[in-house]
Amino acid sequence: MAKPSTKPVEDSVARVDHEVAVGEDLGFQRSWWRFERGAWLFFVVVILLDLAGAFGRGPLADAELSSHDKSVAVRYERIERTGTPSMLKIELGPKAIRDGAARLFVSDSIVGSLGARRIIPEPSSTEIGAGGLTYRFPASRPPASVSLELEPAGAGLFPFDIAVPGLAALHGKILVMP
Amino acid sequence: MATVVHAIIGYFVLLFTVRVLARRPGGQLTLFEFVIVFLIGGVAIASTVGADHSMTNCGAGILAVGLMHRLVSWLKGRSERFAAIIDGTPLVLLKEGEWQLEAMRGMRIDPEDVMAAARAKLVRSIFDVKYAILERNGTISIITHER
Repeated sequence: MAKPSTKPVEDSVARVDHEVAVGEDLGFQRSWWRFERGAWLFFVVVILLDLAGAFGRGPLADAELSSHDKSVAVRYERIERTGTPSMLKIELGPKAIRDGAARLFVSDSIVGSLGARRIIPEPSSTEIGAGGLTYRFPASRPPASVSLELEPAGAGLFPFDIAVPGLAALHGKILVMP
Repeated sequence: MATVVHAIIGYFVLLFTVRVLARRPGGQLTLFEFVIVFLIGGVAIASTVGADHSMTNCGAGILAVGLMHRLVSWLKGRSERFAAIIDGTPLVLLKEGEWQLEAMRGMRIDPEDVMAAARAKLVRSIFDVKYAILERNGTISIITHER
């Protein structure tokens, strides 16, 4: 039968006044308190950045792109969060509407990585190709707008393109937080 | 996969946050601190399981947290310094009739907290207390003068 594993008792715990074995380590504790103060400062900075929108959903996250010829402008959130819906709004100018219709190209990343869930209004037709989708909307006169509901499924930095075919193209990037 | 990663990150974020909050768990937990623990726990659950409330997903999250807890316990047993980082070290709050103000202020502990611990040991007066020690688990040990 195997002998049980044993070890002699040692009095290695630091004593207070040579009387009570406490194991106090004030040196370590002072270092920890300094670290704690740094941690609290870090918490405050994180909260302030969050309120400002540095992690999405705030003033710092709001972004806007517009073409030189004013045919298209996009308002979106440059910082988004995984699994959280947001709206990307596209304003179409007079040049973008021709023959009672507006055509709009969006890159695959809008539908794929950035998780476009819905497009408002529904396009009358959709073409695929050239690395994206080209929607066609019946339109009368400006101002006209199209909204895309985005809900990214994963974190990362995703570039996107939005264009009015034959006119302007806009390039942007959206950072999706985990 | 995402749930396991979220659970591991959540475990360490929670451990870190609770560790820097204050060392007053268990018997010393006040109603005020209960609010913190429940609120933080609820928020952590939401980000860990997300929209997937399946048994598979929740089970994976529970196992990941359990494994992390076992790993941290193992590391605490292997390294005294790591144990001190996770649990802190005992601190003397009262010694031979003198409050140890650095420790009291640092741990945000009032004389009333020490007196409450003394009463629990049926000690009637603070003058009967020779040593009061804040233990690693957050309880306050009371050693009285020998009569």
